[in-house]
Amino acid sequence: MKQNFLEIITMNGQASIQDLGRLNAQHLGFSASGAADEFAFLSANKLITNKLNIKPEHNIAKINNKLANDAAIEITLGQVSLKANAACTIAITGADCQAKINNVTINNWQCHQLDAGDIIDFAMPKTQLHSYLTTAGGFTCQTAQQPWLGSLAQTVNEMALGFTGKALMVGSKLYFSKQNKPLADATPTQKTQLDSLKANRPTTSPALFYPQQKLTLRVMPSHLFLQMSSAQQQQFLATEYVISPDSNRMGYRLHVKPTQTSSPDKKILTQQLRSQCLLSMPVTYGMVQFPDNEQPIILMKERQTMGGYPVLGTVMQTDLFRLSQMRPGGKVSFTLITHPQAQQQLRAFYQKLY
Amino acid sequence: MSNNRDSINNKVSNSAEQGVNFTIDQVAENALLLSWQAKISLTQHNEIIALQAMISQQLGELIIETVASYHCLMVYYCPQLSSSMQVIDKINRITKNVSYKHSDGYHQDNNPNHKLAHQPARNHCIKIPVYYDREQQWDLADVAKRCNMSMDEVIKQHSAHTYHGYALGFTPGFCYLASLPESLQLPRKSSPRIKVPKGAVAIAEQQSAVYPIESPGGWHIIGQTPLPMYESHHGQFNARIQVGQNVQFYAISKAEFIALEQGLTE
Repeated sequence: MKQNFLEIITMNGQASIQDLGRLNAQHLGFSASGAADEFAFLSANKLITNKLNIKPEHNIAKINNKLANDAAIEITLGQVSLKANAACTIAITGADCQAKINNVTINNWQCHQLDAGDIIDFAMPKTQLHSYLTTAGGFTCQTAQQPWLGSLAQTVNEMALGFTGKALMVGSKLYFSKQNKPLADATPTQKTQLDSLKANRPTTSPALFYPQQKLTLRVMPSHLFLQMSSAQQQQFLATEYVISPDSNRMGYRLHVKPTQTSSPDKKILTQQLRSQCLLSMPVTYGMVQFPDNEQPIILMKERQTMGGYPVLGTVMQTDLFRLSQMRPGGKVSFTLITHPQAQQQLRAFYQKLY
Repeated sequence: MSNNRDSINNKVSNSAEQGVNFTIDQVAENALLLSWQAKISLTQHNEIIALQAMISQQLGELIIETVASYHCLMVYYCPQLSSSMQVIDKINRITKNVSYKHSDGYHQDNNPNHKLAHQPARNHCIKIPVYYDREQQWDLADVAKRCNMSMDEVIKQHSAHTYHGYALGFTPGFCYLASLPESLQLPRKSSPRIKVPKGAVAIAEQQSAVYPIESPGGWHIIGQTPLPMYESHHGQFNARIQVGQNVQFYAISKAEFIALEQGLTE
């Protein structure tokens, strides 16, 4: 069966296929990967999906199974244009790339209709990093592509294995999944659903979700952190960090603002505590690694599965979605949160966006 | 600040065995980290993977997956389906009600060499052919120099030993093997290589490993195997070396390496 597609016709930034990730293959050494900013990703799916009438019970299973057919195109720093070979309805969210359809500016965080031959163009966003483009049923980068170990998400370090298609570039075709019918062909029921979709905006507005300037990351302290002296804990929590240019989808590297650089005898983590952490161990999303130079690394979606650095705690997930949109030079600091509080925030987040 | 700590000490003992001793920490909204003593020990690792099997078996639907390493077990669960306390409670029940250490059919024994004698059948030894490269393309000569021995002695020591798979990670199918003989232990290279070839057999500190695909890497490369480190059929991924399995390396010539490589690709 012929599948319809969007074709990348120009590209200066980066783009990849992302969904909610490959969460049950970490024991084999696969990165969990997935959309950097789940708020923008899920908002795009919520805007477009025809699955809105699914009851919350089913949504639980959906979160657990991380349904892969919602895969979106994650565009980093814009600068991509795509041409549609057939009519389709799309949603765009995330970093505002002043997107245009056939040179006419369109609104971000909305659904739009593309006709065959239309060109959608994303400029470099003025703020933030990742934008999402999706369609009902999502995209694949090969015809009839099946999810690999439960997900279509692409991981830079695993592209050589060839399980998730090729890296996106000029000429790449992003196929609509088979079940996707353009709006024109939709049944009356689907039309009603789509109409209700148009009225349905994310329940949290983007302006309220993202921080205006600096971000205070709420972190669940690790066992190691709780062994530190109160003075050392306070020193860590009082430090303002700057996001380094080396940050990417794998990890966010932070450094201390130069004005705050403390003398070497004022280490946050003592050698004695550091020496307890020599063996590699499983690591997860949001863990704050603390290498010898005391410049924290926050593990993001494309993290590896094992790590050998001491871990001071784990940033709660809803703050990681916010962090993923921040650029090098952005300021962050840490504050403590309990595990039940973080869990509550995540539950509320999924309730709003599923 | 101590209120923020939600750590539970598990000190499970039974009359026949020495007590199990690990802590459970809630390390993320969807993850629990079980930690044992920070050491490389075959006895302890067998306990970890036996408990891992019991958790996967008995907690089924609640668990997304478990990841084992030298001294830790990460348990990912679905916070939408159960609270962390429920999962912790179930793990505690497993450790209390079942002498899971017996499930793997071994007894208390701190000597890793004795342990190899009565491994269960699934722990049969995987034999990996290695072309130890004397032509100085990689690090064999450098390792020999730094360990104060001949290249032949490095090869002899590396291939005479039986290793145990402690963790999969870094890249898909990369298995951390330990322990390397003390005489061969070196710190990682001061600056990692940007490209380590597929099949590279490498050592660092107490560990050895085979790189399944070309990737960056900071370990010392002493040889290369033509044997693929993974296979995939019908959407399944199988790592050649699984956590808990035993591994031995044996030396082959360059001609054998080329013949094997050709035979495998045909």
